[in-house]
Amino acid sequence: MRVPYWNIGYGYAIDLLAFPVLVIFLSGLYNHYRKIRKGQERFKKSPDKEHSRPGPFFISSVLTKGILGTRIYRKFFTGLAHGLVFWGMATLSLGTLLVLADVVLKLPVFSGAFNRWFMSFGLDLAGISVLTGLIFFLVRRLFPPDRLVTPKERKGLFPMAGLLAVIIVTGFLTEAMRIKALGPDPASFIGNFVSGLLPAGVLSTTFHRYLWWLHGFLALGFVAYIPYSPMVHMVLAPVNIALADPRPGPKMGVIDFSFFDDEEEDPENSPALGVAKLGDFTRKRLLDFDTCLWCGRCHEVCPAAQTQQPLSPKKVVLTLAELLAANRFTDELPEVLGSDAIFSCTTCAACMEACPISINQPKTIMQIRQNLAMERSELPELMSKAYNSLEQRRHPFFGTGSGPKDWQKGLDVPVFERGKTEYLLWAGCVATYDERAQKIARAMVNILSHAGISYGVLSKPRCTGDPAKQMGNEFLFTEIARENIEEFSDLQIEKIITLCPHCYNSFTRHYPELGGRYEVIPHSVLISRLIASNLLPVSSDGSSFCYHDPCYLARRNHIEETPRQVLEAIGNLVEMPRSKRESFCCGGGGGNYWSEPSGVRINQVRAKEALDTGTDMIATSCPFCLLMLTDGVKKYTEDNKVFDIAELIDARLRSG
Amino acid sequence: MHIAALAKVVPDYEVPAGDFELAGNRAHSRYTRMIGLYDENAVETGIQLKEKYGAVLSIISYGSSADVPILRKAIAMGADDLSIVQGDSDDPFVIAANLKMAIEQMNDIDLVLAGQQSADLDRGVVHAILAEMLGCTFLAQISEIESGNGAWTVRQNHENGSRMLRLSGRAVFSITSSPQNVPRIPAVRAIMAAKKKPVGKLQGIETPPMQAGEVKVEIPKMESVCEFLSLDDLGQTAKTLLGKLREERYL
Repeated sequence: MRVPYWNIGYGYAIDLLAFPVLVIFLSGLYNHYRKIRKGQERFKKSPDKEHSRPGPFFISSVLTKGILGTRIYRKFFTGLAHGLVFWGMATLSLGTLLVLADVVLKLPVFSGAFNRWFMSFGLDLAGISVLTGLIFFLVRRLFPPDRLVTPKERKGLFPMAGLLAVIIVTGFLTEAMRIKALGPDPASFIGNFVSGLLPAGVLSTTFHRYLWWLHGFLALGFVAYIPYSPMVHMVLAPVNIALADPRPGPKMGVIDFSFFDDEEEDPENSPALGVAKLGDFTRKRLLDFDTCLWCGRCHEVCPAAQTQQPLSPKKVVLTLAELLAANRFTDELPEVLGSDAIFSCTTCAACMEACPISINQPKTIMQIRQNLAMERSELPELMSKAYNSLEQRRHPFFGTGSGPKDWQKGLDVPVFERGKTEYLLWAGCVATYDERAQKIARAMVNILSHAGISYGVLSKPRCTGDPAKQMGNEFLFTEIARENIEEFSDLQIEKIITLCPHCYNSFTRHYPELGGRYEVIPHSVLISRLIASNLLPVSSDGSSFCYHDPCYLARRNHIEETPRQVLEAIGNLVEMPRSKRESFCCGGGGGNYWSEPSGVRINQVRAKEALDTGTDMIATSCPFCLLMLTDGVKKYTEDNKVFDIAELIDARLRSG
Repeated sequence: MHIAALAKVVPDYEVPAGDFELAGNRAHSRYTRMIGLYDENAVETGIQLKEKYGAVLSIISYGSSADVPILRKAIAMGADDLSIVQGDSDDPFVIAANLKMAIEQMNDIDLVLAGQQSADLDRGVVHAILAEMLGCTFLAQISEIESGNGAWTVRQNHENGSRMLRLSGRAVFSITSSPQNVPRIPAVRAIMAAKKKPVGKLQGIETPPMQAGEVKVEIPKMESVCEFLSLDDLGQTAKTLLGKLREERYL
């Protein structure tokens, strides 16, 4: 039976040293806590301001994304290496605690099958796993992929990974020296192997003693240094994940503007709208920045960063992390980050989807954008024109040649009647005012009529206000949303069919917070149901369709399969390399439909990706995507290849 | 320095021609109402002068009190106060007389700015009549204004360029749009503050209109006719196109 602290005099000293190490460790963590505390409270104060309600804590997320690291495995080898290190270290830490339990509580861990299979074989396996994972990480740091070093690499990971590797190696050498002195330990396959490599006559007991202390001191040093190095992510990441709302996409919520309505209050002295300084962020956001490892997965999937636009979500987060580390809470963030970068975000949320530790990059960017839009009124030129139009006309399509009812010409489109009509067909601003997108609304009218659905449109078309929200003007969004909710209440509207995923997202995510709760169905989902119910007699004609997932449908609302079912009913589906939740944005989100084109165009990149599949047609289910991709394919072909799902179905109903 | 910027609330000036309709010889009431396009340039110019010279900027409008919520945008942009002369005349002489009354009540106006033409009737005469009534200099198509040594230095745009002019004394300028006076978007807290500002309401005065009566108003119907030419023989297509363009007297 193995004897704890064999050959070591005063071995318990290492256990005693663990106490000051723990103090240093906790002190380091407290420094993080103190900085994060400088952010705004995440709690929602009740009106009497005496009680506060803590935000939710998502245990299941900790188990899946935190402990199991499900997101990390999207990059298989990185995930595997991380898993080897994480689970290996967890096992080794347990082994170390069990040794302590043996010494203090006389728990017989070094006897019988447990010793053989856990303390010997298990810990050797764990050690070699950790070492394998660390070698992967160390080599990758020597030959880093672009995402790790662009725009900057996080320092401190290489030395800490190296130190951990040395700790593991000294552990194996210590074990080998013990085996050399005492004879083979049947299950310690690594210890036995290393021991076999040692020359005969080596002073194994002496080396064992020195290596044991070295291993112990290095391990204690590693633990003490964790909070002062990027390794602190092993503590912060699970907390960050636990505090992150697991619903997909950034949850922007709504801002309470009632402060301004109070006659007694001076609007000039009201709290800042959006975020201008680091201290304006909530503590959760500061935790995001502190936790980030700068792995660059967000940079790699960001449509702006990948087309050389001024934005990189990684750069935003690392810049804020650096400000946090330097205690610079008062720097003006729009100046630090650049307003052109802030407005380049398409709000596609690919960065957030890719992040293994639930950092909310889009919300960070949007909150700074809110400040630019609402406090400084600084918007790019085209966006400001769209904003002005939205403010004055309640739709953003300035200079449109279409009247509000032009899309209905030649069609008998019923107006929604209170108590009589079941569904409100919400055309949305794009399908109302853009000539190309009007075909979607016309197609949908034909489909609904064909299927015998009770539907109607508003007598005066409106916008949900979503473009204002995406441009950062929450105030205008709230104003428009409240007007819509009031009209919906008058008309007793309960069910809404949307043609645009942005409208769908607004109705389902933001309107409920303003009191508007409806049963909302995207047109692609409704069409899929109508086909399944045999209300739309369509059949496959052998054409191939490549489906472009709109970000606001697939990534933000996880509606991926139903649009595909529609296309499979009329032809063959082909997929782009980036699809479903990992879809690449068309470039039109976040108000960037109204942006000045510069450099590589996101819509052309996406159009090429679709055309490269060799598809006959590109299908989508978002009018913004339709317009962006229609424009994008023009670089490569004169043919009109981009269609909305409704148009494809309507054409087949007519020809059938 | 006290500046007055004149602002008129008009029906949406971007209503597509195909969607435009009249009701009672004027744009249908269903169209959104907003501050006139050039009037916003005038307000922006006034705000820039206010910021540069520490002036006071007053907005004066002639119209109905229903226009007040729309005119508050000018306050939110940065004007100091708003006065509306209540009246419903379309006659430029009547409007100018009412504006003169409001300006004279303020007593200390040094400069009057107005959009070069309204976005509904496009006459561009009210400011000239007003200048005549006030007995001060009138300059049209102004895009930039500077003040110094008791004089105004202004840039007057014309079709192919611009010229600089200098004058002293009280003046009325009609403001044209330029990259320098793109109307700013008001900040949210300024919008909310503007909602709480008191508005001066003046009763309009009766004055004889111009000696011209409106007989009829017509808005031509816009129609677009599209014809596709065959591309089988490009030479023949070009000939056909030329023939058609000549036929329609475009060439």
